[in-house]
Amino acid sequence: MCVGLPARVVEVKKGMALVDASGAKREVSASLLDELDPGDYVMVHAGVAIAKITASDEDESDEILEDLL
Amino acid sequence: MSIEKKDLARHIVTSYAGPKIRIMEVCGTHTHEIFRYGIRQLLPPAVDLISGPGCPVCVTPPGFIDEAIYLALEKGAVICTFGDLIRVPGSAQSLADARSRGAAVQVVYSQLDAVKYAAAHRDKEVVFLSVGFETTTPGACLAVLQARDEGITNFSLLTANKTMPQAYEALKDSADAFLYPGHVQAIMGTEICEKLKADGISGVVTGFTARELLTALAVVLTEFPKGKPFFKNCYPRVVTAAGSVSGQKLLSQVMEACDTEWRGLGVIPQSGLTLRPEFAAYDARVKFAVPPMDGRSNPACRCGDILRGDCRPPQCPLFGKVCTPEHPVGACMVSREGACSAYYQYGGLTL
Repeated sequence: MCVGLPARVVEVKKGMALVDASGAKREVSASLLDELDPGDYVMVHAGVAIAKITASDEDESDEILEDLL
Repeated sequence: MSIEKKDLARHIVTSYAGPKIRIMEVCGTHTHEIFRYGIRQLLPPAVDLISGPGCPVCVTPPGFIDEAIYLALEKGAVICTFGDLIRVPGSAQSLADARSRGAAVQVVYSQLDAVKYAAAHRDKEVVFLSVGFETTTPGACLAVLQARDEGITNFSLLTANKTMPQAYEALKDSADAFLYPGHVQAIMGTEICEKLKADGISGVVTGFTARELLTALAVVLTEFPKGKPFFKNCYPRVVTAAGSVSGQKLLSQVMEACDTEWRGLGVIPQSGLTLRPEFAAYDARVKFAVPPMDGRSNPACRCGDILRGDCRPPQCPLFGKVCTPEHPVGACMVSREGACSAYYQYGGLTL
């Protein structure tokens, strides 16, 4: 049940968002996110977009490791 | 992509020569992904990875399953649930067993789908089994608000929602550092992690890809030998310091803290969430006057010790013998996110 699925926002209307997860499309709730636009990437959990995804995991990890050195 | 940096995290992890360290991965998905990517094989002997209580299905006590079966068989309610809960053993039977005795059990992907089901079946009482941590609970709150706004009165929740911070406190002596679950922190933000650091509890917020997991472990293994409590958000592309303010508001609007039982850990004060009195019409326990139920587990099952990190799945006498993913005895073998299920699939079972 605890699967987080990254997906691209296709359309936003009335607190709901149509998202595309590797080709599978589904309506999810957009109530938890204040600003959401088509083209944004979101993390979807149990039919709710819980967060925006703002970078790739590689860029993110590179920055963290730079801090570490 | 910079190859050097890609190798750096792995290098830090494999060449760790510091003091012995116990790292608890709290989230069940972390447990699975660490196995699946083969990261466990990279760890030197000084690094002990422990699976914690972060799989909501695994920490759901048998009494909750008994309540759901009571609602289905005695009150004739349709139970809507995430699929993982169906085979979790109650005191005498699972929901799958109850279904074979006539209980109506529907698997849904989300709480909002359960509201849709209720709207389409107004002649039936529909109860959603509301388990989950801070990541999942906002969906349950949205479902209640939607049912209220649309006048859907045949929908209610049987709540067993839980919150993580009290569990970290309860487990602080079981681990030297936590891999905090990325998607709980996506909702709650990182303030709580800073507070835990001030209380002497170390950890890093961790994502779910191989690079994110290795990077988080590299940060832990770099910081730990310095001997001071530390915190780092290693999943900033999803987790912000503030988290989802709307999500937090929603939680406090619809739910309030309560004492709750965790399988294996017992009752942890104020670590649960239940519906506020103004939403009592959507609380299945109130609506159907469910009597208190103290569930009983199979006494040989060591799920509780496993969830505390006191025992590894292969050390349980039932593991891989009478308890398998096909015939689970304990909750940790039922859920794909459970530690026993992960060890069974990837952990080199020897008979």
